[in-house]
Amino acid sequence: MGLLQELIFGLVTGSYIAIAAIGFTLIYGIVNMINFAYGEYLTLGAFIGFLAANALPGPLPVAVIAAMIGGGITSIILARGFFTPINQTGPVPMLLTSIGLGIALRNAIRLVGGRSARYIETETSTFRFDAIPEIPVGSVDLLGGFFITSEHIIVIASAVIVFAAVHLLLTRTDVGIAMRAMGDDESLARVRGIDTQLIRDSVWVLAGVLAGLAGVLMAIQTNVSADTGYSHILQILSAAILGGAGSPYGAIIGAYVIGLVLAVSTAFLPSSMTGLSSAMAFVILIAVLLVKPSGIAGSEVREA
Amino acid sequence: MSLLEIVDLDAGYGDLQVLSGVDIHVDDGEYVTIVGPNGAGKSTAMKAIIGIATCLGGSIEYQGTDISGLSPEEAAHNRIGYVPQTNNIFPSLTVEENLRLGAYVLDEMPEDRKREVYDRFPALADRTSENAGSLSGGQQQMLAMGCALMLDPDMLLLDEPSAGLAPDLVDDMFDRVDEINDSGTTILMVEQNAKEALRRCDRGYVLANGQNRYEDAGDALLDNEDVRQEFLGG
Repeated sequence: MGLLQELIFGLVTGSYIAIAAIGFTLIYGIVNMINFAYGEYLTLGAFIGFLAANALPGPLPVAVIAAMIGGGITSIILARGFFTPINQTGPVPMLLTSIGLGIALRNAIRLVGGRSARYIETETSTFRFDAIPEIPVGSVDLLGGFFITSEHIIVIASAVIVFAAVHLLLTRTDVGIAMRAMGDDESLARVRGIDTQLIRDSVWVLAGVLAGLAGVLMAIQTNVSADTGYSHILQILSAAILGGAGSPYGAIIGAYVIGLVLAVSTAFLPSSMTGLSSAMAFVILIAVLLVKPSGIAGSEVREA
Repeated sequence: MSLLEIVDLDAGYGDLQVLSGVDIHVDDGEYVTIVGPNGAGKSTAMKAIIGIATCLGGSIEYQGTDISGLSPEEAAHNRIGYVPQTNNIFPSLTVEENLRLGAYVLDEMPEDRKREVYDRFPALADRTSENAGSLSGGQQQMLAMGCALMLDPDMLLLDEPSAGLAPDLVDDMFDRVDEINDSGTTILMVEQNAKEALRRCDRGYVLANGQNRYEDAGDALLDNEDVRQEFLGG
């Protein structure tokens, strides 16, 4: 396969990682916790989308919207049950709680949903571009024909819509500006009269909606299983840290860097070493953090 | 009449009591300064008014209503302008967004107030969409004051407004406080630059060890030999 094809795959992977990483990094920046159960939010979104696609006669967008709503509701219920009560204990107890919650959720999903992977049936159109010349360099083709499916386009377009919507929310609405203010300085936010619990709840709902969307997009792209979200949590975490933890814009950049690095290293590594490609994302992460510890868009190194 | 009436106030943070039995009253339109050595509890008195410090006893009445024991987000609805000494702006928000949050408790954005703030501080008007963190120290202090003024407050609390300012900006800052007071806003200010603050204000309090020590007109405190020896470095 040519490099162009790998770049398409990288853009697709980067897109759903980016959607999830925005939610993850908002929780980190505003609620001030690393939520390791976040992968399971994606899995739940994937399952809700799968069930909705099978149960409802409607077209695919209905399943996507169901996953987003389901993700938002799940997220706020879990937050109210497990995280809000220990909000004052600090980041480390909250991190440990989220790890435990993640394990419990993952196994609960496995118990109910079984081990097998399921597929969301979609009608896929494939667009081929075969006329592009190949530029072989050694075993690698630097250009080459490629194809893009309607699923790829849905994933990338969804991500672009999400970026625009999140940007408008964070810069044009009171609740969005209040979210960013809380990320800066919670005590001053309270002095300004911002109801910090309400803002935290809003962040949980938003992060859940984004997780539901990312999960169902992954499900459409690959499959639905108990590990759908968990298998991506390290990439999401890396994207958020790479971009500068707490910055949604940085998370978007970080996600595409990781998606593209994964894809390109698949293209360049000899076929016997493709297993290493998933490690390449972390090589990049370590390299960036050595040069700029606060991440690409980060302004400060937060203390845990 | 008395706009703010603090009576026999005990206040602190959690179990740590900082103030004991402090009395402060501020009349409508007055300019009152609190001075005293480090650790005297000057800032704590302000923080008790806006709900950051905990009231352990006594009372705080503002416009005739007891406001002690409110949380900061509840106290914000009293629309008392408060400019903290440090961390008084949101650095990653733009100048415009900072002002917008200054008016967060109001039902709608007071556009005319915003114009007044920009008129008062023209340096801010040139940089409305820049991140507040990129402003100079003096401009950040203006922005912090502007945020407090967005509420059109009857009373403005200033915590060490000259701290961290370059010396040539300190006079300018005091002039601006005079202007704000002249336009009818009551001022309660904590200041480490005690002599200048007492020269400018109507009335002053000297706090030490969390208790009232002296209270008098600003000039009278400056002339008071004991106050000079003990607190103003002779």
